[in-house]
Amino acid sequence: MSEILAVEHLTKTFKTGESELTVLDDISFSVPEGSSLSIVGPSGSGKTTLLGLCAGLDVPSSGTISLVGIKLNALDEDDRAFVRNQQVGFIFQNFQLLPTLTAMENVAVPVELRGEKGVSKKAKALLERVGLGGRLHHYPSQLSGGEQQRVAIARAFISSPKILFADEPTGNLDEETADIITELIFSINREQGTTLVLVTHNLELAEHTQRIIRMKGGKLVEDRKSMMVG
Amino acid sequence: MEYIIKIKKEKKNLFRDKWVWRMAWRDARHNFSRLFLFMSSIILGIAALVAINSFNINLQQDIDVQAKDLLGADFSVNGNRPFEAELIAAFDTIQAAQASEASMASMALFMTSTPGTRLVRLMALKGDFPFYGELITQPADAYTKVRSGPFAMLDTNLASQYDVSSDDSIKLGNQVFKVAGIVEKIPGGNGITSTFTPSIYISLDYLDSTGLVQFGSRVNYKQYFKTQNDEEADQYLEYLKPEIRKHGHSYDTVQGRKDNLGDAFQNLYRFFNLLAFVALILGCIGVASSVHIYVREKRNFVAVLRCVGASGWQAFNIFFIQAIILGMIGSVIGVASGLFIQFVLPTILQEFIPLDISVSVAWQAVIQGLIIGLIISVLFSILPLVSVRFVPPLSVLRTNFKTDIKFSKTRIITIALIVLFPLSFAAYQADSLKTGALFFAGLAAAFGCLALLARFLMWLVKRYFPQQWSFIWRQSLSNLFRPNNQTTVLVVVIGLGAFLVATLNLIQNSLLNQVEFVGGENESNTILFDIQPYQKDGVVKLTEDHTLPIHQLVPIVTCRISSINSKTVREIQKDTTDSIPNWAITREYRVTYRDTLTASEELMEGEYQSQVAQTSDSIFVTISEGMHENLEVGIGDTLVFDVQGIPVTTYIGGIRKVNWPQDPPNFVFVFPEGVLEQAPQVWVLTTRIDEQVRAAQYQRELVTSFPNVSLIDLTLILSTINEFFDKVAFVIQFMALFSIATGLLVLAGAVINSKYLRLRENVLLRTLGALKKQITSMTLIEYGYLGFFAGLAGIVLSLISGWVLAEFFFEVKFFADVSGLITIWMGIVMLTMLVGWLNTRDVIRSSPLEVLRKEV
Repeated sequence: MSEILAVEHLTKTFKTGESELTVLDDISFSVPEGSSLSIVGPSGSGKTTLLGLCAGLDVPSSGTISLVGIKLNALDEDDRAFVRNQQVGFIFQNFQLLPTLTAMENVAVPVELRGEKGVSKKAKALLERVGLGGRLHHYPSQLSGGEQQRVAIARAFISSPKILFADEPTGNLDEETADIITELIFSINREQGTTLVLVTHNLELAEHTQRIIRMKGGKLVEDRKSMMVG
Repeated sequence: MEYIIKIKKEKKNLFRDKWVWRMAWRDARHNFSRLFLFMSSIILGIAALVAINSFNINLQQDIDVQAKDLLGADFSVNGNRPFEAELIAAFDTIQAAQASEASMASMALFMTSTPGTRLVRLMALKGDFPFYGELITQPADAYTKVRSGPFAMLDTNLASQYDVSSDDSIKLGNQVFKVAGIVEKIPGGNGITSTFTPSIYISLDYLDSTGLVQFGSRVNYKQYFKTQNDEEADQYLEYLKPEIRKHGHSYDTVQGRKDNLGDAFQNLYRFFNLLAFVALILGCIGVASSVHIYVREKRNFVAVLRCVGASGWQAFNIFFIQAIILGMIGSVIGVASGLFIQFVLPTILQEFIPLDISVSVAWQAVIQGLIIGLIISVLFSILPLVSVRFVPPLSVLRTNFKTDIKFSKTRIITIALIVLFPLSFAAYQADSLKTGALFFAGLAAAFGCLALLARFLMWLVKRYFPQQWSFIWRQSLSNLFRPNNQTTVLVVVIGLGAFLVATLNLIQNSLLNQVEFVGGENESNTILFDIQPYQKDGVVKLTEDHTLPIHQLVPIVTCRISSINSKTVREIQKDTTDSIPNWAITREYRVTYRDTLTASEELMEGEYQSQVAQTSDSIFVTISEGMHENLEVGIGDTLVFDVQGIPVTTYIGGIRKVNWPQDPPNFVFVFPEGVLEQAPQVWVLTTRIDEQVRAAQYQRELVTSFPNVSLIDLTLILSTINEFFDKVAFVIQFMALFSIATGLLVLAGAVINSKYLRLRENVLLRTLGALKKQITSMTLIEYGYLGFFAGLAGIVLSLISGWVLAEFFFEVKFFADVSGLITIWMGIVMLTMLVGWLNTRDVIRSSPLEVLRKEV
């Protein structure tokens, strides 16, 4: 299996006033295509920063990230945005739907950006798939948290991404809804053969992925197979 | 499988990228109320601009079209003594229709149901005047009647003041005239002139019978000419000019009248242009401020779009399209509102202007409004919008994530254009690069000073922080310097608003204060003039009989200058290198003689000669400051006066500073005693009458006993002037309303802007148990501080700009109405507090949880 994501000697530092804070310190790992991986660790361990860098949302201070064969370091922000649009899907803890767009419009955005036509049909089908066939024209403010996350899942999968990054996708949801959402993410992921990179505090959720890496103080301290899946 | 992806993006421009247009619409449809601030700024700015420019254009066109109507002829020859036989002979040699007019100030006795006496302008006409424009009378045949016998017509306001009807009579001098009708319209007669000195019209053939024209009477004579065409008018005037000059008379042409009127309106134009500039600049600030707020709210929206693959430019274009479209809609509404206001303006201004103000769509102003509206919406929204391009997608994961400010060509170019725009617009409006640059520099300096003041304020508060104050006062005060404070922005915006509004107030007051008036208890309020020497004792006795004080009793001798430093007037006129204005050497001077200076005079240079003891002694006269510059004379220079045909050689002995409005009459030349006593002269007497009844009785007796003596009631003129300036103030305030309304929008924008920073903090305080009252108090105190300091700074700055504008731009004496400025200051403090309070209502009304959830 070829590598879809390769991280080598990744370091990220932030300036805080006069001093520098190292958030990620010499991280290296790779993710094979079609696999699933969880990044776990306590708060402040650098997991979200790592996810952001892997997805091309920011650039590392040093080290390289290769996503779907493209060295992200060499690209400017607009080129990275293009790569994200073509290859990457996202699910966020706080859903991040566009408040002024309906559920269907929210889902359609990534494909519309590509200039593709007949998007509504595809968006409608995906929303039906996540159980929101009756809420197509509702605005985010008219949906519950669980429903908003389902819209976000539909949006993440509409462009058939090669890799999906999910940041605490069930962090803002109750247990019952969280289970439904987890089930949805993993089942659609399986259907589409998407690589999944998940950031979570929830070890139970992490065990759903094939592999788990643990972060602590900006360092990768553990890289193991999931006990449940592996 | 190896993924090799080439980054081959299809670059789409704004017009080809349908997605951004779709997103612009989707986003805007829920944000119309938020974009209202943006659009209202444009609407108000453009409405003011279009209204003012359209009015200016229409007025200019009206002046052009109606110039002949204003003069009533192709040209006229004017003099202040009867035209000489030689000149009349020259008039008769040209093939043009002629009409004559003699006008003078006179007392009129109204023998009507509301009897009274009043100083009027007596107009005696002969011939077919006016040749151009309409003379509308009520009844229509009134003018025909006037020309046929002892009949008089009078101005409408005069007729209504004394309840004059057709059966009434008016006594002018020794002659009683039957009222033939009222004059509704006469060329050159409408407008402000008739407000101050209403006219009575009689036939020139009956002027002598009044006995009003005596020695020393100030009568203006005019001979009107109507030619076949403009070329003929020029030709005849050229022919007559040498004769006119020779006798020291003047002439008036259509072009001259047009220029004079243009000059008269220059201050009005300038003031209106200043208003338009201020309204527009405030509009620009409003645009930038509202887009800034909007973009701040849209940060997350943009970050999400960036995450799913939108480029920086695409994100930018979404909001740019909204700005352009709303800018266009705002401009169109602004233009429409401007045109509507333009329809209202003539109604307000008509009585000040001796023209029929037409209201037509000035396309030049409309197109200018649309273009400038679009420029503003593009230029001033680009700067805050540029930041959209640099919203990091990572802020989706971390709300507080910020990137370093990136160098952007767009940003640099926009800043350059933003600097250039007000500069070029000011230069365009003021029609002068220098003036435009001054306006702009003033504004930029105000910006700089306010920003510095804000920094200083923060330093001051931090340095001398009152630790012992209560929590609420400390919390509000510390908000001024804590991280994410809005002190600089708010002080600049509020201060600038205060600066502009206060500057307008100062300019308004300085313009209104142009006419200073005698109000002191011991100063004269009544002037009697044209008293013949043989009437002097009688008039003094009458005045004393009424137990009225005699403040001044001064002789007036009329004379002309015949040579300056041995150069005759004719030689000076011929000498092209000489810059002495013609009017200064050809005019008739009304001089006096006395042995001392009066209270309104001060000797600046030289000495005051009190008396000439012997006829062989040199005569030293004093000249008023200013006139010595016009005549280009100084101490020791020789002036020869022609006093009723007798040459009198004098030397400039001193230069006097004269406070003209104080205790009139005041004089350009004052002779020492012992020179002019035997010259033909008239006398002027000044007194003070405080009681209305006594004034009426005194005036009636004066007119009956001394019909040729005229009386100026300064109290009456003062009330007329006050009434007039009240109307002008209304017009000015009406126009300034635009600037003030736009300023309020900017203030609201700035405060709303700061709301987003304070919102979360206040919610947290509420969560921790702060009472509604405490939150409200903290907000009110914080905004109170800001309003107080920013308002004060703006007003202090306005004193500087107001002085500069008044002295150098409007060329009037600077006048600051302290109570007005304090009112503005307090108004700004209250307004800032009010807008701040309105902003916190959200926090106070909602439960902390509700707001916290919204904030997630």
